Amino acid sequence: MTAVTHCPERIDEVAEWLRDGAAAGRRVRLVGGGSRQHERAPIADGVARLDLSRLDRIVRLDPGDQTCTVECGLSRAHLDEALAEHELELPCLGDGTIGGLFAADPFGPAGAPPAQSPRSLLLGLDAALADGQPFKSGARVVKSVAGFDLHKLFVGSHGRLFVALRLHLRLKPRPRAMRWFCNEGLDATAALALLDALRAAAVPPDVLALRRERGGSCTLFGRAAGRPTVVEPLLREHDLQIVDQPIDCTPPLPSGDAELLAGAAAPSQLPQVLALLPDAASLTWFGGGRFHLSLDDPASSDRALTALEACGAAATVRAASRPDRLQRGTPRDRAAERIAEGLRQALDPDGLLS
Amino acid sequence: MPADTDPPPIERDLVAILGRDRVLTSPDALLAWECDGFTVHKSRPRAVVLPQSTDEVQAVVELLHGRGVPFVPRGAGTCLSGGPTAGERAVVIDLSRMRAVLQISTTDLYAVVQPGVVNLDLSTETGPMGLHYAPDPSSQSVCTIGGNLAENSGGPHCFKYGMTTDHVLGAVVVLPDGEIARFGHASGPRAPDELDLLGLFCGSEGTFGIATEITVRLCRNPSAVRTLLASFATMSAACRSVGDIVGAGLVPAALEILDQATIRAVEASVYRAGYPEDAAAVLLIELDGPPEVLVEEAAECVAFFQRHGALQVEEASDPGERKRLWRGRKGAFGAMGRIDTDLYVLDGVVPRTRLEEALERITAIGERHRVRLTNVFHAGDGNLHPNISFDGRDADATARAVAAGREILQVCVDLGGSITGEHGIGTEKLEHVPMMFDDGDLDVMERVRRVFNPRDLCNPGKVLPERHACAEVAKWPQMVDKLMAGDDTTEPGR
Repeated sequence: MTAVTHCPERIDEVAEWLRDGAAAGRRVRLVGGGSRQHERAPIADGVARLDLSRLDRIVRLDPGDQTCTVECGLSRAHLDEALAEHELELPCLGDGTIGGLFAADPFGPAGAPPAQSPRSLLLGLDAALADGQPFKSGARVVKSVAGFDLHKLFVGSHGRLFVALRLHLRLKPRPRAMRWFCNEGLDATAALALLDALRAAAVPPDVLALRRERGGSCTLFGRAAGRPTVVEPLLREHDLQIVDQPIDCTPPLPSGDAELLAGAAAPSQLPQVLALLPDAASLTWFGGGRFHLSLDDPASSDRALTALEACGAAATVRAASRPDRLQRGTPRDRAAERIAEGLRQALDPDGLLS
Repeated sequence: MPADTDPPPIERDLVAILGRDRVLTSPDALLAWECDGFTVHKSRPRAVVLPQSTDEVQAVVELLHGRGVPFVPRGAGTCLSGGPTAGERAVVIDLSRMRAVLQISTTDLYAVVQPGVVNLDLSTETGPMGLHYAPDPSSQSVCTIGGNLAENSGGPHCFKYGMTTDHVLGAVVVLPDGEIARFGHASGPRAPDELDLLGLFCGSEGTFGIATEITVRLCRNPSAVRTLLASFATMSAACRSVGDIVGAGLVPAALEILDQATIRAVEASVYRAGYPEDAAAVLLIELDGPPEVLVEEAAECVAFFQRHGALQVEEASDPGERKRLWRGRKGAFGAMGRIDTDLYVLDGVVPRTRLEEALERITAIGERHRVRLTNVFHAGDGNLHPNISFDGRDADATARAVAAGREILQVCVDLGGSITGEHGIGTEKLEHVPMMFDDGDLDVMERVRRVFNPRDLCNPGKVLPERHACAEVAKWPQMVDKLMAGDDTTEPGR
C-alpha cells in the first residue's frame, strides 16, 4: 500500500490535519528532508507521511539579539546563508532540515567544552501533539526558565513525542578566523595524544573528532576557530594540516548486513573503546563524547555493544537492514526508561506518531 | 527536637529513619524554613528533615509518598521566587547537610557532588586543579548545586558559559514515589536515542523529584582575565555599548549594568567598590581567554565605551582590584537592605535590543506605583533585575510592590521576552504564567508533570498555576488583586 503524503505549506494546516487524522486513528510518520529515514523502521502500511519540508520560512531573524525563529522544514543550508549575511552562525554540526537536525541531534557537541550542543541552542518551540493540540515551550530570548522545558524533549526524540513546527534558536557570532584541519595516517597512540593536547588548548577547536579507519589508521580533524591571534598559533603548534573544505562528518549508510551504532563515551573511555574494537570496525568520536561506529554484521554489533557496556560507554544500533535491530543497545536505567515511556504515553497516548 | 516528647505518627516514623536530632517539628525551629529569599509568601512547614544520603532521602520519600504527605526539597533557601516554600501540611526535605564532593575527574572534566554542596565551594576545591564550575549566581557563596539544578540557575557569567542546564551531565534522582532514577552520563546529558530527561528535570523547581548526586561539568580556568568598569552619563549609553560589543562578535564572560540608585546603595554599604556615584550607570565587563586575545578585545571594548561618551573607564590591575569591582555587583542585592526592610527582586528578560525601551517603561511603572526601584542586570542576556525595596510590614507598600512587579513582567513579555530568566516561577509568578502560556500549553506541561509526580506530592503548587496544580502555599494579598485589577484606591501607608 502506498503511504498517503500530506505536505502542508502553512503551520496552521498541520494542527488541523493532525486533529482530523487523530479522530480517525490515523498514524503518522514525520518527514523533513528525508535524510534520516534509515534510522527508523520502514513506514508501515496505513501510516501517512507528514512531509514538513515546505514549512521552510525564516519567521524572524534578530541579529542584535542573536536569535531567530524558523519553521521546521527550513534547510540548514538556507539558514546558514541567511546567517552569514549577519556574520552569525548556528554552531553545531548537521544538515538536512532544521527540524530534522534537532530531532536527531546526531553529533551532540562537536568539540570539547565549551563547544555548543543543539540542546543549548534550542530556546523554545511551537509544536503540536499527535492529536493536533498546539502548544509552546520555552521562549524566544536567550534566557528563560518559565514553565517546564518541554523543548528539551524534542532534541533527539526523532519526532516521536510531538511535532515541532517553529523553533526558536540561539545564534553565535561567526568566528573571525576559522580553519579546517585534518591530520591523517596517525596510529592510535599519536591520535589520542594530539586529541588530548587540543582538548587542553586555551581555545580548543570548536569541532574536534577522531576517526579510526578500518585496519586501525587514525585521522584527527576539526575546525580551529576564534581570533587569528589564536587560530594560527594553534595550527602551527600542533602541526595541524589545513584543508580547504569542511570535513563531512556524516557516517556512511551501512549496506547489506552492516550496521551503524551511535554512542557516547567520555574521553577517558576512548582508549579502551579503541582497544576493544575489531579491525573491521570504523569509528568517529566527537569532542563532546558522541561516536558513530560502523560494523560489518549484527554479530559484530552485538559483540561491540557488550564491549562498550564493559567500559562504561552507551550505544544503540542506529541503522541496520533488519528493523528489529534498531534500538538494540547497551542497557538503560529502568526508572529512566519508565519515565520516558510515560512521557510517550502522556503526549501521544494513541501511539499515532510512528 | 526537645519540645516534642510524643510526636504524631508521621513524625515518629521520620525520627525512626533519621534520628531525633534530624527531624525538626517545634514551631520555633521551623521559623527558619517559612520562606526563601522571596519574603512575600510565608508558610511554616509541618516538619523539616535533614537527610545525609541518597538512601535516607529515598526512605523519607517512600514514607511520605505512602502516607500521602506532601514534601518539598530545599537547599540553602536562597531561591528568590518561593520555590522551596512549603505549605503547612508539607515536610521540608532539607538537603544542605548532603555536602560531599564525591568525585572529581580532571581527565573528563566533571565532578560528582551531593546536592548540598555550595556553588562556590566546588570552584574553591577544584581551583588548584585549574578548574572551576562556571554557573555563578549572585548567591554563589551560599546557594547549593542542588538548588541550582532545580531552578536552572544563571548568573553573570552565563552570557558566555550558559546556564546550569548546560553544565549538568547527570543526576541520581529520587523520584516522587521513592524510586531511584539515573539521568545522563559522564559523557553527556543524553546518550543517542535517549530522551533528554535531564534537560527536562533541570529547572523543574523540585517538582519532578530530588537529585541526590549530581554530575557537573568543570571548565578549565582561563589563562587570563581582564575586568573593566565603564561609567556613563545615561543608561542608554551603557545599553548601546553592550549592543555594540555583542554586535561586533565579542563574547565577554560577563556584561553587567548597575543603575545610579544601585550604585549609591552599594557605595553606602559594606560592599563599597569605588563605583562613581555621579554616573547614571556603570557597565562591568569581564573578558577571559588567552592574554593576546584579551589585549585586542579590551581595546575594542574601550573604543565602544568612548564612542558612547564614557565618563570614566577603569580596569582592574590585579586580582584584588578585580575582586573589588565585582564586590559591588555581587553585593548589590545585599546593599538594598539599606533602602528598606524587604526587597522584591524581579527577573524578567527582554531581547537585548529592547533593553533601553524596557528600562524606560519600567521606570514609568515604578513612578506610577510609587515604589523605590533600582536596576542591576545581566545586560548581555537581556535579563533584567528590577529591584523593588519596600516595607513588608506595610500591606499597602507590599501590594504596590507586587502590582508594579506584575506590570513590569508584562512589559517583558510584550517586548518578546520572559517573566523569568533564572529565578523560576515558584509561588511568586504562578499568577503571571498565563502571560506566556495559554491553557493548551499548560495542559501539556501538566501531562508531563503527572508522569514524574502523579499525586503532586513533590513540591506541590509550584510552576503551574492553580488550575493545573494543587496550590497550597499562600496567595497574593487581596490588596494586590485589587491593584492588579486596576483599582488603585488603597491608601498609602495603611
